[in-house]
Amino acid sequence: MNRRDLLALAAAGIAPMSLSRLASAQAAEGIEFGAPFPMSGPFAVNGKYGELGVRMAIQRYGTVIGRRLAYSVFDTEAKPATAVRKVQEAAQQKNTKFFVGGILSPEALAMGKEVHRLGGVFFCYSGADEITGKECNAATFRWPVPAYGAVAQTLRPLIEAQPKAKRWYTITAQYVFGEGMLAATKDVLKEKGVELVGNSYHSLAEKEFSGYLTNAIAAKPDVLVLLNFGTQSTDALRQAISFGLHKKMTILVPWTSGLEQFQSLGADITEDIYFGAQYWHKVDSPTNRELIAQVNKELKIMPNYTLAAAFICTKCVIDAIAKAGSTEPKAVISALEGMKFEGLTGQEQIRKEDHQVIKDYYLLRGKAKKQMKDADDYVDVVSSGQSFLTVEQAGCKLS
Amino acid sequence: MSVYLLQTVNGIGIGMLYFLLAVGLSIVFGLLRFVNFAHGVFYLLGAYFCFEAVRQGMSFWAALLIVPLFVAAVGWVAEKTLLRHVYAKPHEFHILITVGVALIIQELVIVQWGPLGDSVAVPSGLEGVVMWGDFIYPKYRLFVIAVTGGLAVLLWWVLEGTRLGSAVRAGSESPEMVSLLGINVFRLFSLVFALGAATAAIAGVLAAPIRGVEPFMGIEALAVAFVVVVVGGLGSFTGALVGGILIGVVQSVMSTLWPEGARLMIYVAMAAVLLLRPNGLLGKRG
Amino acid sequence: MRRNIDIAVALGIVVALPLLLSSGSLASEVLIYALAVLGCNLLLGYTGLLSFGQGIFFGLGSYTFGLVLTRTGLPMPLALVASIILGGLAAGLVGIVSIRQKGTYFVMLTLAFAQMFYFLAYSVPSLTGGDNGLLNIPRPPLSAFGVVLWDNTTAWQFYAMVAVIFLLVFVALHRVTTSIFGRTLLAIRDNEVRASAVGYNVPRFKLLAFVLSGAVTALAGALNAMMVGVAPLANAEFHVSEMILVMTVIGGAGNLAASLIGALFYVLAADWLSTLWPRWLMLLGVLLVIISLGMQRGLWGLIEDGFLALTARFKRTGEIRVEEKQV
Repeated sequence: MNRRDLLALAAAGIAPMSLSRLASAQAAEGIEFGAPFPMSGPFAVNGKYGELGVRMAIQRYGTVIGRRLAYSVFDTEAKPATAVRKVQEAAQQKNTKFFVGGILSPEALAMGKEVHRLGGVFFCYSGADEITGKECNAATFRWPVPAYGAVAQTLRPLIEAQPKAKRWYTITAQYVFGEGMLAATKDVLKEKGVELVGNSYHSLAEKEFSGYLTNAIAAKPDVLVLLNFGTQSTDALRQAISFGLHKKMTILVPWTSGLEQFQSLGADITEDIYFGAQYWHKVDSPTNRELIAQVNKELKIMPNYTLAAAFICTKCVIDAIAKAGSTEPKAVISALEGMKFEGLTGQEQIRKEDHQVIKDYYLLRGKAKKQMKDADDYVDVVSSGQSFLTVEQAGCKLS
Repeated sequence: MSVYLLQTVNGIGIGMLYFLLAVGLSIVFGLLRFVNFAHGVFYLLGAYFCFEAVRQGMSFWAALLIVPLFVAAVGWVAEKTLLRHVYAKPHEFHILITVGVALIIQELVIVQWGPLGDSVAVPSGLEGVVMWGDFIYPKYRLFVIAVTGGLAVLLWWVLEGTRLGSAVRAGSESPEMVSLLGINVFRLFSLVFALGAATAAIAGVLAAPIRGVEPFMGIEALAVAFVVVVVGGLGSFTGALVGGILIGVVQSVMSTLWPEGARLMIYVAMAAVLLLRPNGLLGKRG
Repeated sequence: MRRNIDIAVALGIVVALPLLLSSGSLASEVLIYALAVLGCNLLLGYTGLLSFGQGIFFGLGSYTFGLVLTRTGLPMPLALVASIILGGLAAGLVGIVSIRQKGTYFVMLTLAFAQMFYFLAYSVPSLTGGDNGLLNIPRPPLSAFGVVLWDNTTAWQFYAMVAVIFLLVFVALHRVTTSIFGRTLLAIRDNEVRASAVGYNVPRFKLLAFVLSGAVTALAGALNAMMVGVAPLANAEFHVSEMILVMTVIGGAGNLAASLIGALFYVLAADWLSTLWPRWLMLLGVLLVIISLGMQRGLWGLIEDGFLALTARFKRTGEIRVEEKQV
């Protein structure tokens, strides 16, 4: 091996430590937050706004229990193995104990286990039921409402609002998360005496939905429900509109990422469509108002879901550190369990038995373009509420 | 029963776009023996340039004409400055360099337009659907079928009826012979590569109102293009057409027959063709 | 002597990594991917087969290891062996079918099979956990007859075990590639028709190379699963196949130490670049372009050329002096 490679190796070994953002020179005295996000790759948009959310929270507080707050972002590349490896490194090299991130379920599940093994705290915002269900652990906390609640809080109000809609059709992504939503959908429909006239599964990474939409058209439903997420729900909805389905039936997308998704769709597509969301910036709560003011001022944008979720997760951990008066993970975990706080949706609480935050989920309806009062006023809030599986139903056993 | 008919028609619609996506890759491979992993980003650039042009006020029709020329220029430059130097190297270097170029362009797109996707409006006059009894189909998709059909005819004419086309076809059989005949082979290569980029870009422009724009859309497009090229036959124009339509129909019909497996079946079709008729359904040199 | 330079270089790097890197996990990842690259190099550099399907074996190795450890009571070494065996078998299956075709068709076949395996992986969530991945894979200590031989808890302890496994595999492959079998593979790579005319059963040799490649790649997948505690769906994605191939080409085909260099370079470069800029993939792209333009034989070729240039200069000055004396 020649000297050049040796030097490159040395540089490579030292460089990561010195180049992370906001890494304070006083890492020993400060409190280090790890922010594992997909900064590159197909979920880069989540990474970008997630980092901003963590930044807002850290900037807002500055210090807690007399110690400076700092964070470093690491790129998980949307790969669970990379995410876990970088969590390991952060814990080893910077003694990071607090992690906020994990928007993608496979990453969140894997990282949660690792943080638990390392004895830290992980506050994530992914939607898989299992995170506070059968794969729950003492280190992992979760802010968003999981798949079950998302479906319950969108289907039920819609069924009640449209009593004549008796035939429902679903297009479901064939992954564990999609299956979870479908199971919840079937339960709610059965409970309300409404018929599921058909379901089309589609594979991961599918972009062409015309075939599935043709199936839906043939089944002549009153309501079409899209049980997928991310670019797939965007693509499916866009194509459904192009087939004119919104004129023949009601369309519901129970799981969306709110503002950023509406922005990529545009008001022409979102009009009159029903959406489910974890967060909407027009919801009036003190914490939300403060966040909006801060984000408007610093970043000149309106907070979207990813940013808001990352913000509130970080804020919860910081508040817990303050409440516990220490950075000892076990103490912080105890402080988090059962913690009631002013969240972004109003009063929220962290359920002690499974570390799930109990909060509202929203049913939204797209506005017509001419009714939008500003560029981000895509929807009206139709209803909101809380639906959660009990701890036993979720299958979480925190021992 | 009628659902399958609907799916077949829908499949032809998808398939025509797949043909347009794949034909450039096929011709480039036929002539240059070059496996181009950057083909997907020409599709991506076509879509994004169209998005930007429309946003700046240009009409969709003008974009449809102008954008492919821009992307062809990008392809021309890439071929002349970078890709040409690896023709003589083993195949793995073709892959390495085009993967590199694809990454660079993809990330540049994100730098310029951000990681969030966006929508492109269907051009006015083509909004809405046509209805034949139970059959509903977006007008715009019918338009795409018509345009790609026209382009197929145009391309066929270029390949069969012009000197350029003859040079390309001859060059696919034997590049040495072509240069012995006095044709500047290097310029031919650049031209063909640019043409390949242009067709991918047209596919991107046409797809934008259907699929929207999103920085990673080139990845799936590349995968589909490979499948169609293999099924149709590397280097074959009609192969790309037949292959594209076949894959489109398979995908569409499968969404009713076995929805989860729709995407899988296109790869099964690919493997089946590779094993049974490796030169593709219409490939030459049996 | 020249042959053993490979082993010396490998040993040197393995020993140097703990001294130069601060992260045991990163060092382990280098060696784990180096194993996968060895597998790919065996096909590409030695047999001339460009496979886009290595992700199949990597993913299969991860899943097998995870399933054996979480569903059966078998000890960790046996789980590793199971991954190796299954990887070899799967490679045999893929190989039997793919080897029938040559050149670009072979490449496309491996690509198609890789996609099919990915589909299979997420379609049987009861085995693989689907898109959630196979979770809760433990990292047991190395023990025999109830006695703990080596605790794997800390990252550097785990690295030590990976390093030993890596070196063992490296030496074994070194033996294989410098044997007659290895030389036959090279002959097949250089001129398949001639090798066949001379009497070698080319398909059988290719198949054997495939099986060996699959086994080694599956071992890499298993170690990866053990390191991160999960066998994610991403391990079977196309991107893994692409990455392994890129590392192989960067390092240089046809030389085992080159595989380690390629993996080392890529893993460290990706890790470092990702801390600089979210758009670091662009920088990686530039790097790939530069390497493909500038280097025919990868980084190893560059190192060799550099080494030869240095020693040649040294030799030349000696000769001139002698000539002058004679005059």
